[in-house]
Amino acid sequence: MSNVTLEKVSRSFGDFVAVDSVDLRVEEGEFVTLLGPSGCGKTTTLRMVAGLEQNTGGRISIGNEVVSDAASKFVVPSERRRLGMVFQSYAIWPHMTVFENVAYPLRVRRRPNAEVQDLVMRALRLVEMERFAERPAPALSGGQQQRVAIARALVFEPKVLLLDEPLSNLDAKLRLQMGDEFRSIQKRLGMTSLYVTHDQSEAMALSDRVVVMDRGRIQQIGAPEEIYRRPVNRTVAAFFGTPNLLDASVESCRRIAGGRIQLDVAGQGWRGPCDAAAELTPGQSVTVMVRPEDARIAGPDAVRGEHELQWTGRIAHTIFRGPTRSVFVDTEGGRINVDAPAFGNYAIGDNVNVLVPQSAAWAVIGHKEAA
Amino acid sequence: MSISAELPPRPVPRPSLFAGLGAFGRALGATSAGRFIAIALLIAVLAFLSVYPLSMLLYGSLHSTPPGVAGEFNLDGYADVFTWQSFVTLANTVGISLAKTIPSLMLAILLAWILARTDTPMRGTLEVLVTLPFFIPPILTAMAWGMLGNPQVGLINQVYQWITGSTAPLINVYSYGGVVWHMMQYSVPFLFLLIVDAFRAMDPGLEEAARMCGASRWRTFRTVTLQLMMPALTGAAILSFVRGIENFESPLFFGSPAGIRVITTDIYDSINQRSPPQYQYATAISFVILVLLLLVVLAQWRMLKGRSFTTVTGKGYSPAVMKLGKWRWFTFALCMLFFVVTVVLPVGQLLIGSFFQFFGFYQWDMLTLDHYRAVFSSGEFWRGFRNTMLLGLVGATLTMLLGGIVAYVSVRTRWRGRMLIDGMAWLPWMMPGIVLGVGFLWGFALLPHAIPIYGTLWALLLAYISLGTPLSVRVMTSAYAQLSYDLEECSRVHGANWLQTMWRIMIALAWPAFAVGWVLLFFGIMRELSASVLLYSVGSEVLSVVLMKLWANGNAEQVSVIGMIMMVMVLVIRWIQLRLIKTRIGAL
Repeated sequence: MSNVTLEKVSRSFGDFVAVDSVDLRVEEGEFVTLLGPSGCGKTTTLRMVAGLEQNTGGRISIGNEVVSDAASKFVVPSERRRLGMVFQSYAIWPHMTVFENVAYPLRVRRRPNAEVQDLVMRALRLVEMERFAERPAPALSGGQQQRVAIARALVFEPKVLLLDEPLSNLDAKLRLQMGDEFRSIQKRLGMTSLYVTHDQSEAMALSDRVVVMDRGRIQQIGAPEEIYRRPVNRTVAAFFGTPNLLDASVESCRRIAGGRIQLDVAGQGWRGPCDAAAELTPGQSVTVMVRPEDARIAGPDAVRGEHELQWTGRIAHTIFRGPTRSVFVDTEGGRINVDAPAFGNYAIGDNVNVLVPQSAAWAVIGHKEAA
Repeated sequence: MSISAELPPRPVPRPSLFAGLGAFGRALGATSAGRFIAIALLIAVLAFLSVYPLSMLLYGSLHSTPPGVAGEFNLDGYADVFTWQSFVTLANTVGISLAKTIPSLMLAILLAWILARTDTPMRGTLEVLVTLPFFIPPILTAMAWGMLGNPQVGLINQVYQWITGSTAPLINVYSYGGVVWHMMQYSVPFLFLLIVDAFRAMDPGLEEAARMCGASRWRTFRTVTLQLMMPALTGAAILSFVRGIENFESPLFFGSPAGIRVITTDIYDSINQRSPPQYQYATAISFVILVLLLLVVLAQWRMLKGRSFTTVTGKGYSPAVMKLGKWRWFTFALCMLFFVVTVVLPVGQLLIGSFFQFFGFYQWDMLTLDHYRAVFSSGEFWRGFRNTMLLGLVGATLTMLLGGIVAYVSVRTRWRGRMLIDGMAWLPWMMPGIVLGVGFLWGFALLPHAIPIYGTLWALLLAYISLGTPLSVRVMTSAYAQLSYDLEECSRVHGANWLQTMWRIMIALAWPAFAVGWVLLFFGIMRELSASVLLYSVGSEVLSVVLMKLWANGNAEQVSVIGMIMMVMVLVIRWIQLRLIKTRIGAL
């Protein structure tokens, strides 16, 4: 197992900068996910680590060994980087059997036959595909091809495993199952993994750390919980789930116990305290993020508690979602989406209050326009 | 109506053209009687174009005298086929075709790889240049090479002897090598066109996966790229082999003078060069070669059954382009060399030849425009030109219409009999032009005198339509296959009748394919020699026949002039075609 280090890595196509000065260090055995909308440069970043794409700036090292340095034009070709890779299309070779597909990396390395036999079967057992060894590859379902692709990437004990949206071609149910299985294999083997996806729930479920990218730049690096709770800017905040983003301006700012920063903010028809990542000066514009699952609906006469924020409005419409019901409340400060109990009594036009614990409100710099 | 009589006459409101045709379309498409008539009509037309000449071959091979002459039935024709002489001819045919297919395939793979998968400069232009030889009528390059590689006065040998001082010629095109070489000029671009998309469309992940597994580029190419392409390559190679057996121009120009006989020239000789013409032998050997080709095609179907790999995924990744560094100028030069040798040399020879007084003597004081004057004042040239243009325009249009209908019936309807229609339209696919020519020769001669097709332009037109139908059906089938049924059904649901649907949706969307197919057929007709040479008669000569007559008379200078004129036509049409494809791709 090895670590991966990217120092100021860039990739430009003509004038277009696909990846802009990315710094990232993946520790040994860590599972790091590159997350972002399509075109954000995450796949390009992964392919530069793989050596399938040339970085036009910066340096990439794997296991403390430089594999690509744009300044000195030094490049180790893909085949000598000893990386395992799982492709979005799986890239299972249709002219070979499952066994031959998985054996390929070993054959290339001229391992003796007995060893090949042994290692391939072990890899296939790991992904529970040993029964299919002699099947021709085209006779596999999507999920099975996926498993073969993982076995092939693992069989020669690569330094790092790279995965390019490996679950995106599977249906929703299988995606969850394969994701969980893969995570457990990864943990068992302690495999350093770099994973690319545009699916935020996948990223949160699988990763030790998530790297959120947008327009070629890293927006935030952190544990899934941290990124979900404490996004550093509007882009990251908007990317996870469907949060309410409410414009406000700072009234005062203070540091409280534990180094946290608390703001008093005021928006259209509401005011109150909330947490923030950085110290801000009064008068600055902020966006306050409130997640639907943190808000609750109260009657028109409800009074907010000491550590709560309050909005008053009327119910615009509701959507039944099974476990919860989305209730949309029109307030002076904008429309707020609340995850309410599925079988509560909400009628359109009801006057209600929306209450949110102050600790669940999180402010980031900037307004909607600025984002 | 009394009022209308006092008013100025007004056009009677008539049902619109659409409504009128729509009713007809409905009658054809929707009623079972109409459907039956449509199917019967189509079957009758196709039967006349493919089954009829085929059965006439069988008839003629058993008939002891030329068409139209009373005779008896016997097996003498087949007895002549199974002789040592014929066996040598057959071995020559197969051997030459193999000898050209294998190097052509290797060269085509190399070119396809260079142009589809490397960063060789100006790949777009190179692709146009490298495929150009395919569109030049082979009779032109045959004659040009006949001049270039003539052992006594050929330009190449003259230059070689002038440089080295040697007296021996460098090359002699009148040899096995000459035949193979001339065939290769066509089969390389032909194979290239067939396989280049397989190189281009492959999911790059399949190769990248191999690289990530530690395989070098060469190993990746060998164990993944090439293996994945095997089905496409074998298919293309077999087709090229069949085309080699069917080839007429190369052995006619370079084989016959050297005494090298292949089956196509043998058929031609026994009808045109022998007196009395040996129709029975020609027909019998035609039938035999047809059966052999059928076996090859069937073998190919068996071999390729289920061996086609879908390597294209939805993801819009263009395949990885290999960076060649300095070597990209080498690959560039390689492509240019191919273009120079297959296009610039022969066309240059025609150009030079058309301006000098005598072929083989190139001195400044011998420059002349006389040959151009002679050609432009020659009635024979203009007649051939008119006939070729007429046949090209009408033939290509009719063939595409027929192909469009056949493809529609076989792909988009569930009519009974559509398999039969598809099969009949495919039959001429493996018929060499000369064999079809022999079949039609018999067929037209045996028609009642009230249908005077024999010896007229109609004979050529019908033969060209027959030869072109398999291509037009293929082009239109793939065009229809890309159009989802929903488009058609949606139009119907929204109230358009059958004909409106055809017109607005199907034809509007399929016309680019129609145009591409049309141009290919026009090229095909312009270059056709083997069937024409059997079916023409005085007054219905086409350009290729005019050229051949001039060549036979030793008039290389006027051949060069007509060759140049045809070359200009080829370039213009090819340019239009490329523009068409470009705008079509741009629109999609």
